[in-house]
Amino acid sequence: MKMRKAVSLILAASVLSALVLPGCGSDENSGKTEIEILQYKPEAAAYFDQVEEEFNAAHDDIHLTISSPNDASTIMRTRFIREDYPDIIGIGGDINYSYYVDAGILADVSDYEGLADINPTYVDILESLEIVPTEGTYGVPYVANAAGILYNRDLFEEHGWEIPETWDELVALCEDIQAEGILPFYFGFRDTWTCLAPWNALAVGLAPSDTCQNVNAGETTFSEEYRETAEKCLQLVDYGPDDPFAYGYNDACTAFANGESAMYPIGSYAVPQILSVNPDMNIDSFVMPANNDPSKNTLNSGVDLMFAVTEECKNKDAALEVLDFLLEDDNIQAYIDDQNAIPCKMGDFTLASQLDGMTSFIEEGNMTDYQDHYYPSEMAADALIQTFLINKDVDKFLSDFDTRWQRYNRDIIREVQEYNEEHGSDE
Amino acid sequence: MYEKMKARVNWPVTILLFIGLLTIIFPLYMAVVIAFKQPSEMTTSISGILSLPRTWSLSNFAQAMEVTDFWRSLGNSLLVTVLTVVLSILLHSLMGYAVGRNKAHSKVYNVVYLFIVSGMFVPFAILMMPLAKQTAEMHLANWAGVILLYVVFYMPMNLLLYTGYLVNIPIALEEAARVDGASTWRTFWKIIFPIMKPMHATVAVITALAVWNDVMTPLVIMAGSGQNTLPLAQLTFQTQFGTNYNLAFASYLLALIPIIIFYVICQKQIINGVVNGAVK
Amino acid sequence: MKKTLTAKQTYMLITIPILALFVCFNTVPLIRGVIYSFTNFKGFGDYDWVGFRNYIDLFTDPRIGNSYLFTIKLAIVATIVTNVISLILALGLNSKIKGKTFLRAAYFVPNVLGALVVGYIFQYIFTYILPELGKMIGSETFSTSMLSNENTAWIAIVVVCAWQNIAMNTIIYISGLQTVPEDVYEAGDLDGATGWKKFRYLTFPLIIPFFTINMVLCVKNFLMVFDQIMAMTQGGPAQSTESISYLIYNNGMKGGSFGYQSANAVVFFIVIVVISVAQMSISNKKEEQL
Repeated sequence: MKMRKAVSLILAASVLSALVLPGCGSDENSGKTEIEILQYKPEAAAYFDQVEEEFNAAHDDIHLTISSPNDASTIMRTRFIREDYPDIIGIGGDINYSYYVDAGILADVSDYEGLADINPTYVDILESLEIVPTEGTYGVPYVANAAGILYNRDLFEEHGWEIPETWDELVALCEDIQAEGILPFYFGFRDTWTCLAPWNALAVGLAPSDTCQNVNAGETTFSEEYRETAEKCLQLVDYGPDDPFAYGYNDACTAFANGESAMYPIGSYAVPQILSVNPDMNIDSFVMPANNDPSKNTLNSGVDLMFAVTEECKNKDAALEVLDFLLEDDNIQAYIDDQNAIPCKMGDFTLASQLDGMTSFIEEGNMTDYQDHYYPSEMAADALIQTFLINKDVDKFLSDFDTRWQRYNRDIIREVQEYNEEHGSDE
Repeated sequence: MYEKMKARVNWPVTILLFIGLLTIIFPLYMAVVIAFKQPSEMTTSISGILSLPRTWSLSNFAQAMEVTDFWRSLGNSLLVTVLTVVLSILLHSLMGYAVGRNKAHSKVYNVVYLFIVSGMFVPFAILMMPLAKQTAEMHLANWAGVILLYVVFYMPMNLLLYTGYLVNIPIALEEAARVDGASTWRTFWKIIFPIMKPMHATVAVITALAVWNDVMTPLVIMAGSGQNTLPLAQLTFQTQFGTNYNLAFASYLLALIPIIIFYVICQKQIINGVVNGAVK
Repeated sequence: MKKTLTAKQTYMLITIPILALFVCFNTVPLIRGVIYSFTNFKGFGDYDWVGFRNYIDLFTDPRIGNSYLFTIKLAIVATIVTNVISLILALGLNSKIKGKTFLRAAYFVPNVLGALVVGYIFQYIFTYILPELGKMIGSETFSTSMLSNENTAWIAIVVVCAWQNIAMNTIIYISGLQTVPEDVYEAGDLDGATGWKKFRYLTFPLIIPFFTINMVLCVKNFLMVFDQIMAMTQGGPAQSTESISYLIYNNGMKGGSFGYQSANAVVFFIVIVVISVAQMSISNKKEEQL
């Protein structure tokens, strides 16, 4: 009996010590200001590791840690609930940003000097994401992405196809391509989110950019605004593979990379994946010609990565110093080379050749944010669109979209309408 | 004796079982082939998918080990798994014994039994947020917390298994020991615990597997601690905008090896257990 | 007489600390979760009490209804498939066969693989290989991917779930079969019992506790199906494979309706408990009858 007890005591002690040992973290940087960035793009981890190293080598008063975890959204949520806020978060310009601003998690950085160099289009995009107009600026846009149509430049040159500038030209082009026995588009609709790529690219040209805000304000409905987008989206599917819902994003990238289709309606972010399959592929892109009047077409571009200082950050000056470093031209150039991204900072940057066809829109500032950045993810608009593309019932889709929007946005709608009642008269 | 054993081999069943094995080998073949291919060899045609890689290079494995910081992640995974399994076997068999021997005649123990077993049905998603908060408050947002949580999460199922097994162990064995003056505690460790060996092996396999492949608990509890288990490290291969399946599969195959070895060891225990169990 | 603890006290001393641990890390967070289900908590920031609004919404949300229908259909079919196959396998693997150790280890492999790997391999099979085979045999249904058709996608999920879960069920059946003493069979042999009769009247009654465990585990695992959905369909096509757990995680954790999905989880928990208790009491009755 005693023996047993002794054995179990020793066992328990060893278990406990084993548990405690790996738990000890780093305390070696005492005396320095600690700044932690938690950013949500694990694919850019290598870049951020390097930035972290360079920053720490150049600064002896601040120690920077950048973590680029997988599934950062879950990690961010759990850290928020634990009230263990990182100093800076790197997130996308989507509805999560709207939620975080609304919840008062982010600090106002409107005094930050670096903002002056940021392309105002992107600052405005963030501004309009706020659920109700909120005084101040809560994020510094870093890089953007764009969605349109990627095309196989070699195939286009070989057959003498022209880049379409109107919807009719696009349809005619698809017919030409099909006539030559080539598949115009590839789709990876099994991964529901890819349904949003053509959808967004069409919607920016066909629906007002403030559609979602107007619906929240009770001024319009999606049935009114999205009909043309839905119909044209459906039309595109005809020029895709027989069963687009069988393939995922990866399959579609692989197929496009292997020359199985001439075009692929997806965002600029797909280029690294496509090049991993076929590193020599000659890809370019063009803006989705949603309208027959080319002047109405606009590039679908939104903030892909922005940095926001949290309200809980103890040393905001140090955090802003870190942002200065991140926004140095060389660093931004390194990021956009690595990730095929578009800088949000104004200046002389070299864009990837795969964005050639979009450059004129970027230079003119003719860009409109992704509509889906306003969609709450739990509404699963992507799944709704997938359902619609399978069932092809426009009316049902639009009414479902409206009902579901009302259901999942109830709190936001109430907040917007209360705000409008209070402020509506002064504006 | 040997002759007699040989004569009794059931050949039709053996052959059928080997044929059935194809349903397992085929998908595994695909996993191995993908693990050895380069991304540029990936195609979407059926012959391309089934073809062997051009070269049998270990570069994917080497790269996968580097990306996941393999040895450290493996060490962490082993630590968590081994400790969880040891604690589970000790605590859950004890609990199984205490509850199993009493639930038939005591309402209290029956309620405790049902209470814990019903814990099996709590969807993890509802516990996730509260647990993240609670473990942080209790300074358990670390390995210790994760292991404690595992011991709690797998308690319902293991309790079910142990009490189920206990039914088949005759009470007469313990009564004999008790007549000899042994305490209940001692009876358990001397008599019941060894007899439950086949169940220990089963519990060990089930618990080890669940822990070994689990992503959610460490992700939520240790978020941002910089410590990785293998499945956490393997998340690197799965990002929405690009998945390197070749590296991912190489890494999955590597992670498979320790647990297969563990299963083979436990399986022997299960078989030995028969010998012990037959002493009824 | 310093006799150590009585049996009763020992049982108590074992039960209380372990129960306390369980309450602390399972019951307490569950109660907190239940509390959130009465709020519009997003997972961060402030929240308001909304009373029973989330629960009322659950019953009017067609998406929730569909997810219950899909999940229950999947669980029933997959449980039957898994148990039939794994019982047959266990009987085979427990008989006098060549290469027993190897076969047992080999049949266990599917369970060792993570659901993501399995999901991806089967995605390939369902997307490319099966349609090709379907075309060869000229079958209309099989010449397109099962995963892209909303009427067949759930069958693909059943196949993958069963493929993975059969291994564990087989082990539990094997360990059950090993509790069956040899002399039962010897007695049976004397009576001339063979084949199905031997199984039905000799083996099966003795492994009923293991059958119960397997049924309950299967139903529970399949009702909570999540990884396979994430890896294979993400709820598609046309939202035909959105399981309950998938909705809870995706909308509650990733999306902003944590409060609403907590309510869903509470209802789901009650549903599973009711189903399982019913299952257990039915098989307990069976056990007593035999």
